Amino acid sequence: MTAFRVAESGRVRHDRPVEFQFDGRSYQGLEGDTLASALLANGVHLLGRSFKYHRPRGILTAGSEEPNALVGTRRGPGRYEPNTRATVQEIWDGLQAESQNRYPKLSFDLGAINDRLYMLFSAGFYYKTFMWPRSFWERVYEPLIRRAAGLGKAPQEPDPDHYAERHLHTDILVVGGGPAGLSAARSAAKSGARVVLVDESAEMGGHLLSEPGLVIDGQPAWDWLAGMLEELRELGVRVMSRTTAIGYYHQNFLALCERLSDHLKEAPADLPRERLWQVRAGQVVLAQGALEKPLVFDGNDRPGVMLAGAAQTYLHRYGVRAGDRHVVATSHDSAWHAAFDLSDAGSRVEAIVDTRANPSDALREAARDRGIRVLSGHTVTGTSGRLRVNAVRVNPVHDGSVGPAETLGCDSLLMSGGWTPSLHLFSHTKGTLRWDDESDAFLPDQQAEACHIAGAGRGLWGVEAVLQDGDLRGAEAAEAAGHKPESGAFQVENDRTGSGETHRELPSDRKPGRARAFVDYQNDVTAKDIRLAVREGMKSIEHVKRYTTNGMATDQGKLSNMNGLMIAADAVGKAPPQVGLTTFRPPYTPTTFGAFAGYHRGDHFEVVRKTPIDSWAEENGAVFEPVSQWRRAWYFPRQGEDMEAAVARECLATRKSLGIFDASTLGKIEIAGPDAVEFMNRMYTNPWTKLAPGRCRYGLLLGEDGFIRDDGVIGRLSDDLFHVTTTTGGAARVLTMMEDYLQTEWPDLNVWLTSTTEQWATIALNGPNARRVLEPFVEGQDLSPEAFVHMSVAECRVAGFPARLFRLSFTGELSFEINVPARYGRALWEKLYEAGQQYDVCPYGTETMHVLRAEKGFIIVGQDTDGTVTPDDAGMSWAVGKKKTDFVGMRSLSRPDLVAPGRKQLVGLLTEDGSVRLDEGAQVVADPNQSVPMAMIGHVSSSYHSATLGRSIALALLKDGRNLKGQEVYVPLPSGLHKARVTDTVFYDPEGERLKV
Amino acid sequence: MSKASKINPVRGPVQLEVMEPVARFSLRVGKQGRQQLGQALGLELPERIGMRSSQGGREALCLGPDEWVVLAPEAERETLFTAALEAYAEVPHSLAEISDREITLRLEGERATDLLTIACPRNLELMPPGSGRRTVMGGIQVVLWRDGQDAYRLDVWRSFFDYIHSLLETGNREFAAEAQLESQSA
Repeated sequence: MTAFRVAESGRVRHDRPVEFQFDGRSYQGLEGDTLASALLANGVHLLGRSFKYHRPRGILTAGSEEPNALVGTRRGPGRYEPNTRATVQEIWDGLQAESQNRYPKLSFDLGAINDRLYMLFSAGFYYKTFMWPRSFWERVYEPLIRRAAGLGKAPQEPDPDHYAERHLHTDILVVGGGPAGLSAARSAAKSGARVVLVDESAEMGGHLLSEPGLVIDGQPAWDWLAGMLEELRELGVRVMSRTTAIGYYHQNFLALCERLSDHLKEAPADLPRERLWQVRAGQVVLAQGALEKPLVFDGNDRPGVMLAGAAQTYLHRYGVRAGDRHVVATSHDSAWHAAFDLSDAGSRVEAIVDTRANPSDALREAARDRGIRVLSGHTVTGTSGRLRVNAVRVNPVHDGSVGPAETLGCDSLLMSGGWTPSLHLFSHTKGTLRWDDESDAFLPDQQAEACHIAGAGRGLWGVEAVLQDGDLRGAEAAEAAGHKPESGAFQVENDRTGSGETHRELPSDRKPGRARAFVDYQNDVTAKDIRLAVREGMKSIEHVKRYTTNGMATDQGKLSNMNGLMIAADAVGKAPPQVGLTTFRPPYTPTTFGAFAGYHRGDHFEVVRKTPIDSWAEENGAVFEPVSQWRRAWYFPRQGEDMEAAVARECLATRKSLGIFDASTLGKIEIAGPDAVEFMNRMYTNPWTKLAPGRCRYGLLLGEDGFIRDDGVIGRLSDDLFHVTTTTGGAARVLTMMEDYLQTEWPDLNVWLTSTTEQWATIALNGPNARRVLEPFVEGQDLSPEAFVHMSVAECRVAGFPARLFRLSFTGELSFEINVPARYGRALWEKLYEAGQQYDVCPYGTETMHVLRAEKGFIIVGQDTDGTVTPDDAGMSWAVGKKKTDFVGMRSLSRPDLVAPGRKQLVGLLTEDGSVRLDEGAQVVADPNQSVPMAMIGHVSSSYHSATLGRSIALALLKDGRNLKGQEVYVPLPSGLHKARVTDTVFYDPEGERLKV
Repeated sequence: MSKASKINPVRGPVQLEVMEPVARFSLRVGKQGRQQLGQALGLELPERIGMRSSQGGREALCLGPDEWVVLAPEAERETLFTAALEAYAEVPHSLAEISDREITLRLEGERATDLLTIACPRNLELMPPGSGRRTVMGGIQVVLWRDGQDAYRLDVWRSFFDYIHSLLETGNREFAAEAQLESQSA
């Protein structure tokens, strides 16, 4: 057995030893140990170096609030985690842990020079010291400071673990599995409510795990606990251990992080590491207990200095003594009991040093019985020992003056500065706190959510009081959730109640400027720093916090906020409530990024929508590009082709003979009902009344502001039925906009909208041979140019599949778009592709589609428009019904600024040198010789190499563009200044002859 | 769909099965026309959102105040269309075919409800067997049919199907792993 283990004590399994490593050395612990308890059992107190001063640090607490004992842990390749709290990490065979922030080794660290230079490192020193030269901040100072300060190193490898998510609804969520939480869960569940009980620890029980001497309802505490958990199980309470309530949001929505595998030696491959639960609770009971405060004195951070309550937990829960010779320094009765328990377990307690002049007689007597020396009315003024405390310096205090010092030898200094009710989650809800003079603490006041605070969280002390309160709060919550409450009574023997005092830093006979009295251990903030901040003008606690970084570490000031406030209040000369408390924010404890990401990584990072024809494209070597959530075939390179070559080939093949294109992603909306045409007239700029069934028309959709929002070809299938197409990215947005108008502006219209985007697979055939290849497949529609004119639509069958067939063109070639039910998309594609072989059919992707449409001057909404382009700006006044009395955006089109001359208009640009392809987004200037900054007259919106024309082409939005036609403009690019001529937007076949094939 | 297998090997406590297509329609009609159109289509159109009806192999689920999803055997697709068309003059409405818009996944098993909660924020206990809802799964709009205490159908838009399907498979494997761990420690 290891030196500090107490035989047959604690909840650890003495028959199950566990081997683990710390800094390369092997140690033995027991099943049930945390890394901290196992190291303490081996007499190891030095665990790391501090953030700023690289001071040796040990274990301060026994819980998730630990600011000091942060280590790196490794669970195999890619599974390195920095800043693991040793007090939380459970050990298992083979666990590897290492200390942080030290070089070359933990016991001798070069960075500790910072500690010698501490006078330089006071609050705000960065701002004062590294002010000039200004340019040095980013390149020299900050990187150096960042290297010198800091804790663990971020892992470099990808995280191989997976993280899960769940949603949960419950009547009542109880946070905290200590006595208050247990009794709350029970009374709530007995009323019939559905109850979830969570605790961050591996075991339920909270404080009861550290107080086995209690007798509850006639049973030893741990037997009572086992019975209680059994009862909760029978009542159907969902009990979740290793589960931290990390955030409490609006309307009783809470986030829980459940840790599933960090405590396991071997986990099944599919087991997630952590799971984020999103809980919607009717009522919440917060039973988070209280956290012990350190005392603030010089050298209160040395390894071997520990909170007394933590020592009590190590003793009872883990069967570990925190040392052989203890000195206890306290301002609260609770530490006396820890001293007695350690003494009873065979440790030597040299002295109990109480800051209060008159501790109770009962405590004095109990100390005397154990032969423990009591020094009341004393202060602590220093500690010594390089890597572990070996002595404490104490002085009597009389009437505010500090008397002569005495040095007490020890290997363990236990301290207690009283207890802070843990109200972090309550604070997340914006619940307010009030200062309670009696307990010197902030207690819950006004609440903003349906929550109930039980036990030590609202300042109660003693297990009986807390059990009783939990029971009542549980019943109260059940009643609020609509259940009939049922409550019980508890009797607790050996209940060690007590009280205490709250202090600022302890008085000293030494120079206060030399004291290293730590308030925030994790961020290395001392009492001196807080006083300095106040001296330098910080009056609000929020400013003091930011100036000193007190409470800004990952522990969010769980230990430091109250001490910091007491010191700041004293320095400002105001009462603590007037100085105020900073706000706690989620998460309650440090939480992995993985837990937040959940399933959103790898294949599940984000939805990738694929068309029914996507698999064919993949099999045929397509290169894909993302278009909103879709992935679309971009181009189909042949062996040895780059993108430019592939696109040139695809363009030429389509213009020459036949191209085939997957247009399935186009948004589709079916608009049906007697008022369908009226609705269309109101939504789109174009007139629809005279569009005959069987014909289609290009439609332009504006926003209320008169700017182009979307476009697409719309077919009229019957008097009351329109098949609308939208842009790929606009599908959902357009439907939402239409529904919005329909439901809020025109509920009287008898018309209904249905998204049919995914009902149909859409294949576009383009090129002079399009009709020849399609015609043999079509039944029920004559495809001849006379019977099926340009801009027609028909319901027919294609290759035996029911189809909606459009004749339209987005390339300027003879073109058909065939819609078939999605399941037949790939089959039809393959048939057309096979039949197209005789015409050298060429599958093409989005890039070729873009080039072909640009050659014709067709716009892409969102590329050639940017939300400030009107139909006239785009040269599309022809699409606006001149006789229409209203449509969305119509009134805006006559706004003075939209009719004023000098607006940017869409034009074509041809570079002087046809081999130069302008950059999309490049700015355009009229005169390159003007002085900088030049007046920019617009920008290039689309730019391609046109294989058809054997030169580059571009579209641009230029101020007063149409008046500039024929003139020269200049486009500065990284490659140099390029001259270009302003032209019409249609570069190819302006007469539209090619449609007439 | 790109998943070739219709039935997945059971890699978890919940059976996940990709269903064969059926004739599926989005039906929209105003309050006044509800009953009459229902008669024309041969099944009752329930009035309350979430309620279902079924008659002779046809099913209807009310999704909104004027919206139903109607299912029928594939062979009855034309019959339904014709019946609707005949009623149109008297009861104007919209009957849009969406048979191919969605793919249906069936879930069955003791932990089916739990499995859905990995991605569905709705309180499924408030959705009794024999009801259905339009809801979200993993941020994606779906229609969920609860056929029994532990049996569901999930209609997912085609292009989102693989994402949802593989997400549920992942969750199913997690449940299997947890069960394995529990049986080890027991």
